[in-house]
Amino acid sequence: MLVDLQGPWSPLLGRLALSQIPYENHILAPLFVVVVILGLAIIAAISYFGKWGYLWREWLTTVDHKKIGIMYILIGLVMLFRGFMDALMIRTQQAMAVGPDAPGYLGALHGYLAPYHFGQIYSAHGVIMILLAATPLLVGIMNVIVPLQIGARDMAYPYLNALGLWVTAAAAALVMVSLFVGDFSHNGWFGIAPIFELSYSPGVGVDYWMWVMQLTALGSTLGSINILATVVKMRAPGMTWLRLPIFTWAAVASNIIALTSFPALTVALALIGFDRYLGTHFFTAGLGGNLMLYTNLFWIWGHPEVYFVILPAFGMISEIIPTFSEKPLFGYVTMVLATFGIAGASWAVWLHHFFTMGAGPAVNSFFSVATMLVGIPTGVKVFNWAFTMYRGRLRFETAMLWAVGAVFLLLLGGLTGMMLAIPAINYMVHNSVFVIAHFHQMLLVIVYAIFGAVTYWWPKVFGFKLNEAWGKAVFWLFTAGSVLVFVPMFTLGFMGMTRRLDYVFNTQWQPLLDIQVLGIAVYSLSVLAFVGMLYVSIRDHAKNQVSVDAWGTARSLEWMTPSPVPFYNFAVVPHINARDEWAWRKEHGFTDLRPDHYEDIHMPKNTGIPLILGALMFLLGFGLTWRIWWLCALSLALIIALVIIRSFDSDTGYTIPADEVERMERGHHERARAVDLPAAGVLGGAIAYGQADPAVKGQGAALGGGMTSPEGSRV
Amino acid sequence: MSSSTSKAIDPSSVELWDHSHHHHDVLSTRTFGFWLYMLSDAMIFALLFAAWGVLSYSHSFAGGPIPADFVKPGYAFLQTLALFGSVLAYGFTMVALKNGNKAGVISGLWGALILGAAFLALDINDVVHLLDAGITPQRSGGLSAFFILTQTHALHILFGLLWMLVMLVQVSRFGFTTEVVGRMLTLRLFWHFQAVIWVFVFVFVYLRGMLI
Amino acid sequence: MDMWRKKLAHWVRYLALAPVLLLNGCSTSHFWLFDPKGPMANADLYYMVIDVAVMLTIVGITTLMIIWFLWRYRKSRGKGTYDPKWSHSNAIEVVVWGIPIIAVAFLSYYAIEGTYALNPYDPTVIKEHTVAGDDPLEVDVITTDWRWLFIYPKYHIASVNELVVPAHTPVYFRLTSSSVVNDFFIPQLVGMIDVMPGMRTKSALLANHVGEYQGFSADYSGAGFSWMQFRTKVVSAEQFQQWTQQIQASPRQLSYAAFNEFAKPYIDVSGKPEYFSGVQDGLFDHVLGEVMNGKVWPLPMAMTENMVDYMKEQNARTSTRTSN
Ligand code: HEM
Ligand SMILES: [Cu+2]
Ligand SMILES: [Cu+2]
Repeated sequence: MLVDLQGPWSPLLGRLALSQIPYENHILAPLFVVVVILGLAIIAAISYFGKWGYLWREWLTTVDHKKIGIMYILIGLVMLFRGFMDALMIRTQQAMAVGPDAPGYLGALHGYLAPYHFGQIYSAHGVIMILLAATPLLVGIMNVIVPLQIGARDMAYPYLNALGLWVTAAAAALVMVSLFVGDFSHNGWFGIAPIFELSYSPGVGVDYWMWVMQLTALGSTLGSINILATVVKMRAPGMTWLRLPIFTWAAVASNIIALTSFPALTVALALIGFDRYLGTHFFTAGLGGNLMLYTNLFWIWGHPEVYFVILPAFGMISEIIPTFSEKPLFGYVTMVLATFGIAGASWAVWLHHFFTMGAGPAVNSFFSVATMLVGIPTGVKVFNWAFTMYRGRLRFETAMLWAVGAVFLLLLGGLTGMMLAIPAINYMVHNSVFVIAHFHQMLLVIVYAIFGAVTYWWPKVFGFKLNEAWGKAVFWLFTAGSVLVFVPMFTLGFMGMTRRLDYVFNTQWQPLLDIQVLGIAVYSLSVLAFVGMLYVSIRDHAKNQVSVDAWGTARSLEWMTPSPVPFYNFAVVPHINARDEWAWRKEHGFTDLRPDHYEDIHMPKNTGIPLILGALMFLLGFGLTWRIWWLCALSLALIIALVIIRSFDSDTGYTIPADEVERMERGHHERARAVDLPAAGVLGGAIAYGQADPAVKGQGAALGGGMTSPEGSRV
Repeated sequence: MSSSTSKAIDPSSVELWDHSHHHHDVLSTRTFGFWLYMLSDAMIFALLFAAWGVLSYSHSFAGGPIPADFVKPGYAFLQTLALFGSVLAYGFTMVALKNGNKAGVISGLWGALILGAAFLALDINDVVHLLDAGITPQRSGGLSAFFILTQTHALHILFGLLWMLVMLVQVSRFGFTTEVVGRMLTLRLFWHFQAVIWVFVFVFVYLRGMLI
Repeated sequence: MDMWRKKLAHWVRYLALAPVLLLNGCSTSHFWLFDPKGPMANADLYYMVIDVAVMLTIVGITTLMIIWFLWRYRKSRGKGTYDPKWSHSNAIEVVVWGIPIIAVAFLSYYAIEGTYALNPYDPTVIKEHTVAGDDPLEVDVITTDWRWLFIYPKYHIASVNELVVPAHTPVYFRLTSSSVVNDFFIPQLVGMIDVMPGMRTKSALLANHVGEYQGFSADYSGAGFSWMQFRTKVVSAEQFQQWTQQIQASPRQLSYAAFNEFAKPYIDVSGKPEYFSGVQDGLFDHVLGEVMNGKVWPLPMAMTENMVDYMKEQNARTSTRTSN
C-alpha cells in the first residue's frame, strides 16, 4: 500500500538517520548547542530550587482556565520570538542576495541561505506566526478572560481545555524539533499544490508541516467547542445575550468561525497525507487528481482563519478603548452585528486568494464583490471606535496606545485589502510583497491588540501593573520598526517585487531592502525593551500592586474579581443587572464586593492525562513524519487506551466548603483594601471591602426577593 | 463625578449575587458540546463529499475503472439494513435506559454492536474484493476520493463500535450514573449521525455511482 | 471615454507617486506598476487609481478625524466636553454604515467592469485596441522546473528564457506546466496568470512600445524559482520576422523526446536564452496530455534538501552570466 520513497528506511528508525541532524550546518549547529545548554540550565534551576512538585501540581496538571490561558500565552510568546528570528533571516538574506554579483557565504550562491533552506525559513515563519504565535496568544487571552467576563468559575469542559493546550504544545514542539532533526517544508505556510507531492518534496519537510498544522487544527477545534459551550451554557444569571461584554461576543463569533472552518484544513491536510503516504491522486496534476481542489479547500479554511484571529483582536480593542476613554463603547449593538457580519461574509470570499487561477470573470467578480462587502462592517467598527473616543476623556496609557495604533494599522490594512479585492488590481500585485505588506498590517493589528490586551489584563491576572515607561518604549520602538519594514515593502510591491525570492534579481530594489533590515534591527530593540519591561515590572511589582479595578474606569465583570483572580474566580456568582455590570455598580454605588452569603464551590480536579496525551500526540506526529511505524502504532494505542481509562474515572471534582471560601475571600479583600487605601483618592474610594464587619452580611439575602430588573418601576 | 447624573436606585430592589444556587446542568452542557463536535464532523464529511463531487467526473478516473463498473447498490443496501438495524437496536437501548432496565440496556447495546460490526464486515469484504480486482485508491483521483470518503465513514463506525464496547463495561460496572447516562445519550447522537451520513454515502456514491 | 481615462490615469499616477518618490528619490521607471507599456498593464493601473482615490479619501478623512478626537478629547487639557454616557446616535449609525456601503457599491461597479475588461481569456481591452485585420501572434508557454519555454507554433520555433514579440500586435498565450504551478508575469505588460500542470490557461498582451521588459515567475515553484526570469523583447514587426528566420536556422530541434530531456529539473542560474527550430507540431498539447496521464519529472533529493552542493556545482558550470 505504501509508496516508495527516495532514500533509505529502517524498521526501527524509519527514515531517521544520523545524517538528518544538521551538525555541519553553520547556523543550526551552534544554535542547537545553545538550546541544549539553555534547556539543561532550566532543568537544573528547577531541580535546584526544588520546584518540580510545584510545576507539576500548579501548572502541568492544572485545569484552571487562567493558568491554561497563561501557558497558551507563554507558548505564543516563545513562538513569536522564534518566528521573529525567522523574519530576521528572511530580511537579511534578501538584502544580501541582490543581483548576480552579490557574494555568497556558507555554500549559498548569494547571501547565506541556499534556496531550499530559505524556503523552509519563510514557511516556518508563516506557520509559526499564524498558528503557533497569534492563535495561542489569542486563545490564551480568551481562555483567561471569557469565563471571567460571563461570571463563570471555569470553562464548560476544563479537562478538554487542558487537552487543547497540550495538543498545541505538541504542535509547537514538533515545529521546533524540525529545526534540528531533518527539514521543514519549503512550500509556504499554505502549501502549494503540487509541490507538496512526493515527486517534488521527497523529504520529510512537508510531513512535518502537515502534522504540525494537523495538531493545531485539532487543538483549535477542541478550544472552539469549549469556548462556545462555555458562553452558551455557563453565563451568570442575568447575563443576557445583549449584556455580553463585547470581547466575549468577539470570542463567540471567532470560535464559530474556527469550529466550522478548521475541518476544511483537516480535510485538506489529510488528503495530502493520503497522497504522500498511500499514493492516492487527490492533488496530483495527472491521473485524475485536481490540484485546484487543494487550493480551494485550503482557503475555505484559510480566509475564515484570518478572521478567526482578527475578531478577538477587534474585541480587545473594543474593551480597551472605552476604558481609557472613560465612557461606554459607541454602538454596542452595531458592533455585535458588524462582528457577525464579518464572520458570515468571511465564508464567501476565499477565492480572492487565487483570482489569477483563471476562473471566469463572473466567478472572479462575485468573489471580488463579496470580499469588498467585508470592508463594510470593518469600516463600521473603525468608526465606532472613533466615536467611542468622541466626547470621552482619553488617557494614553500603554494599553490605549496599542489599541489606537491598531486602529490606524487597520485603516491602512483595509485600504490595501480593498485594493487586493479588485481582480484588475490583484493581477498585478498578487504574490507580490504588496500582499505580504497587506497581511502583515492586518497581523500587526492583532499583535498590537495582543500587546494592548496583555498590558490591560496583566494586573487582573498577576495583581500588579506593567511598567508604563518601559511599555511605552516597547510601543514606540515596535511602531518605528513596523514603519521601517512595511513602508518600503509596500513600495517594493509597486515596483513589482514578488514574494519568496531567495535571490533578488533586480538591483534597484536594494536600497528599500536595506531600509527593511534597519527596521528589523529596530524591531530587535523592541524585543529587548519588552524583556526589559518584564524584568523591571516584576522587580518592582510590590510598588505597582492593584486591587480589583486596576485602571479605575473599567466596565465589565472581570474587574469585579480580586487581582490576582482566585482559582475559583467568583466566591459567589454575581447576578447581572446591566450591560457593563461593573460600571453600572460603580455608578449606583454597589461597590461592596463582599457577597451577601457564601456557598460550597465545586471545582474540577487536576489531572496529568492531558499532558500525557499531548506528549503522545507529539510522538505520533514525529513517528508519522519519519515513518517509524511501531512508534505510531504504540502512541496511537496508548492515546486510545488513556482516553478510555480516563472515562472510567468518575472522581474528577472536589468541593470547597462555604466557610473555607469565606476565609479565602476575606484574605483577598484584606489585601485589596491594603492596596487601595493609600490610593483611595484615585479610585474615589468607591470600593468597599470586608471591614471585618459581618453586620451587612444579611442585607443582600434579605433583598434577594426575585428582583431582576433594576430598570424596573421601583427606580 | 459624571456630567450627567444617573437616577438613584433603591438598593433593596437590586439583586447583586446569585441566590439560586444553580448548578450547571451537566447533561445538557455535555450534549451541547457534542452537537458542536458533530457540526465540525459534519463539515469534514461535507468537504469529503465536495472532494468526491470534484473528483467524480469521468476524466477523474483517468481511463481506469469507473464506479459504474464496480459499485453494487444491492450490496450497499444490505449494509444500509445492517446499520439501520443497529440504530434501531440502539433505540431499544434508550427505551430500556429510560426505564432503568440494566439488562435491557446491555442486550440492546449488544444488538447494536453486532449489527454495526456486520456493517463493518460487509464494508471490509467489499474493499478487499475491490483491491483484489485492481480497483485501488492509487489508480486514479476518482478512486482515491471514492475510497477515502467511504472508509472515513467506516472509520467512524469502528470508533462507534469501540465506544459501545466501553459502554457495555461501564453500564454493567457503574450502572446509570450521570456520566454513564451522558455518554449513552451522546453515543446515541453519534450513532444516528453516522447513519444519516451513510444515507448520503449510499445516495451520492453508490446510487449516483451507477451513472458515472 | 478612452482619452480621459488615459489622461486621468496619467495625471493621478504622478500624484499617487509623490510620497513614494519623496521616500527614495527614484524615477517612475523603477515602479513597474506605474509605468505600463501596453493596454493590459495600463488598465490595471487605471483601476488601481480609482480604487485608491476612493479608499484614500475615506481612510484619510477618518484618520484625520481620529487624530482630531485624540487631540480634542485627551484627558489632560483636552478642549472637548466629556459626556460619560453618550454611546448611541442614530444619525451617526446611519452615516457609519452608509459611507462604507456607498463606497463598496461604487467600487463594485468598477471591480466588475475591470474583471471583464481584463479577463485574461478574452480581454476586451485588447480587442478595443486591435484594428481589424491585425494578425495576432500565438505563443504557447510551458514552464518546467525551472525554465520558461516559449513556442511559436506558426513558425515551428521555440525560445528559452526569452520572449520576443512584435509591437502593436496582440499576442495570445496558452500556458501549461510540466512540473508545478508558476505565475506568468510581465509587470509592465500584463498581470499574472497561473501556469498549471495538466491544465491550460490563457492570457494575452499588446505592447505599445519597443523595448525590453522583465518577465518572471511570480508563484513559488521550488528551488530554482528565484532564477525563473525571462526577458521580454518587444521589437518592430520587421525585426520580429528577421528574428523568426534566424531562429528557424538554429540547429537544435525540439521533438517531444528532446523536450523530455529539456524538462528535467535544472536551475538556470545563467538565464542565457536558448533557441530551437523544428518544434514538433502540437508539442504543447502533447506535453499537456502526458502530464494528465501521470508523467512527472520528479526532483532528486539533492534539489530539495541540502542544496548547497548542487548550487556550487551549478555555479561552476555557468561562469558567464547575463545581467539585468
Ligand atoms: C477589509 C478587509 C480585507 C480585505 C478586503 C482583504 C483582502 C485580501 C485579499 C484580496 C487577499 C489576497 C491577496 C492575494 O494573494 O492576491 C488577501 C490576502 C491576505 N489577507 Fe486580507 N483582506 C482583508 C482583511 C484581512 C484581515 C483582517 C486579515 C487578518 C489577519 C487578513 C490577512 C490576510 C492574509 C494572511 C493574506 C495572504 C495570505 C497569503 O497569501 O499568504 N486580511 N487579503
Ligand atoms: Cu511575517
Ligand atoms: Cu482572504
